Amino acid sequence: MRRFGELIGVAVAGLTARKIRTLLILLGPILGVAAIVAAIGINESSKGDLKAKLRELGTDLIVANAQDAIGGFGRDPRIPEEAAGRVARLPDVTSVTGTLQLSNIVTLPFAAAEDYYRAFPVPIIATHLNLPETMDVPLVSGRFLNEFDESSAARVAVIGRDLANEYGYIANEARSIQLNGVDYGIVGVLDYVLLEPSMDSAVFITFANAVEDWDEDDPDPTRLYIRAPTNTRYVAQEIPTVISLGGPDGANTKVPTDLLDAQSQVDENLNNLTKMMGGLALVVGGVGIANVMSISVIQRSSEIGIRRALGHSRGTIAFQFLIEALVIGVLGGILGAGVGAGVVWGVSEMRDYTMILSVSGLFRWASVSVVVAVVAGLYPSTKAARLEPLETLRLG
Amino acid sequence: MASSPVSESLLSLEGVSRVYGEEVLVHALRDVWLDIRAGEFLSIVGPSGSGKSTMLGLLGVLDLPTSGSIRIQGAEVNTLPDAERSRLRGQAIGFVFQQFHLVPHLTALGNVETALLYRNLSRKERRRRSLEALEKVDLVHRHDHRPIQMSGGEQQRTAIARAIVTEPLVILADEPTGALDTQNAANVIEIFAGLRSPERAVCLVTHDVNVAAATERRISMLDGEIVADESQVPVR
Repeated sequence: MRRFGELIGVAVAGLTARKIRTLLILLGPILGVAAIVAAIGINESSKGDLKAKLRELGTDLIVANAQDAIGGFGRDPRIPEEAAGRVARLPDVTSVTGTLQLSNIVTLPFAAAEDYYRAFPVPIIATHLNLPETMDVPLVSGRFLNEFDESSAARVAVIGRDLANEYGYIANEARSIQLNGVDYGIVGVLDYVLLEPSMDSAVFITFANAVEDWDEDDPDPTRLYIRAPTNTRYVAQEIPTVISLGGPDGANTKVPTDLLDAQSQVDENLNNLTKMMGGLALVVGGVGIANVMSISVIQRSSEIGIRRALGHSRGTIAFQFLIEALVIGVLGGILGAGVGAGVVWGVSEMRDYTMILSVSGLFRWASVSVVVAVVAGLYPSTKAARLEPLETLRLG
Repeated sequence: MASSPVSESLLSLEGVSRVYGEEVLVHALRDVWLDIRAGEFLSIVGPSGSGKSTMLGLLGVLDLPTSGSIRIQGAEVNTLPDAERSRLRGQAIGFVFQQFHLVPHLTALGNVETALLYRNLSRKERRRRSLEALEKVDLVHRHDHRPIQMSGGEQQRTAIARAIVTEPLVILADEPTGALDTQNAANVIEIFAGLRSPERAVCLVTHDVNVAAATERRISMLDGEIVADESQVPVR
């Protein structure tokens, strides 16, 4: 152990004596490790907010869209009320909300903007009253549609948050919007619906209004939003059958977070490419170490000769240079991992990513740097050990 | 190193020849017999190319003979593996070179300590012994100076301290005054004369007859052979 300590001391003294050269040798492993750590860290961090969003949203929302099970009969497919009831009674389902998007209605905050909103129509959605609960979204201001609105067909509406921003709506402001010339009072603003971004610019009204004002003779929803905290995938598979029961009404289902989930997976191909390039940088760094250390052996041949004369064996000399390579690898690995982590932090700060950095990854790549440095040090070490002391000492 | 009788053989060459080259053979040393005994202060002299440096390399076991044996205290060492040979070299022989060969990035103390590395000594013990050796060459006040901060004479004295710190049986010095002025050379010769003891021999390899005159035994070489081996009254 004492011998190893002495070897480390000699190696460190050798390296610190030639600071610029040591710094140049260190650049290889530092850049290699930093490149790999930074690239992988940035890649993962860029997906970090998706992962965080996924955690926030949960993965238990199912969307069922009506479709004809047998073939169209000249009407839009709907999900009948009794079918929605069957879905709601499934054991794993905690909440079901039906919606119906109305078409051909021009929504206007004020008359002068008619041309614009005719070209870019605002979606009008008739909805059941428990939409905020099912979507797990709060109201920014005011209230959502309630039983009284439904039973009295009162002309009230809730608008999405983007629409509220677009209209310059001030919280709890007494204001109305026109739906095809009919005034509706705005009673609340729904917060962003991350799983259904189209709702952010929509107007929500009751099914009663859809029937009273817009002549919807069939007040059944075209879409169901279903929360099933347990067995989500099985419930999603089951729902089409539950809705159809062999009849003409059918539905397809999807779990929106599946897509997010897929997006949040780090691109393995990109990661592998990154690792390959970082590995290449490390190999180049290794070649640099071998090269500079070989030159160093020639420059220090007199020192090697005198050490041999003082009784250090070939093995000790080889080991001394190998330890120098090891120190370079360890330092390069630590500094490279530090620089890489710093870059990931900086980019995450700038781009507002959720920083993700695997500590085991830092250790792994720092260890690769150590291995590369030691392998690179093998040749110069052997070369140093093979030097003939008589030749290096140039006796008189 | 146990104390030995004055006449004990410390280092000997027995029928040693050294041939360099593969296609063109250079006979640097031919059938040399030499015995260095405890308590001797001797010199090996000869013109350039006479084989004295080759002999120094072989005496110091830095090189191996083409034929013949090198013995340290009677034990043949040229057949030992490198690690064992190196260990024995470190124990038995102290080198001093014309060009000093100090490690430039180490202080005087660090250079002397280098000779004590890998001997299972504590840092404190290494330091104590090294300072003691520097004391013997009157350089303890310069122990934290690097070679570049010292004069030629001081560098050579540092090299001598490095050679004696291991308490070797034989000190081999190669042209030890070659890079020094007259005054420093005289001082260094004085130091070498003082290093000889009943247990230790000091051997100077030189082409300078004045240096050789300071020793008690003079071995003259020519063309790879010993042409004279004579005792003399030292002139200093």
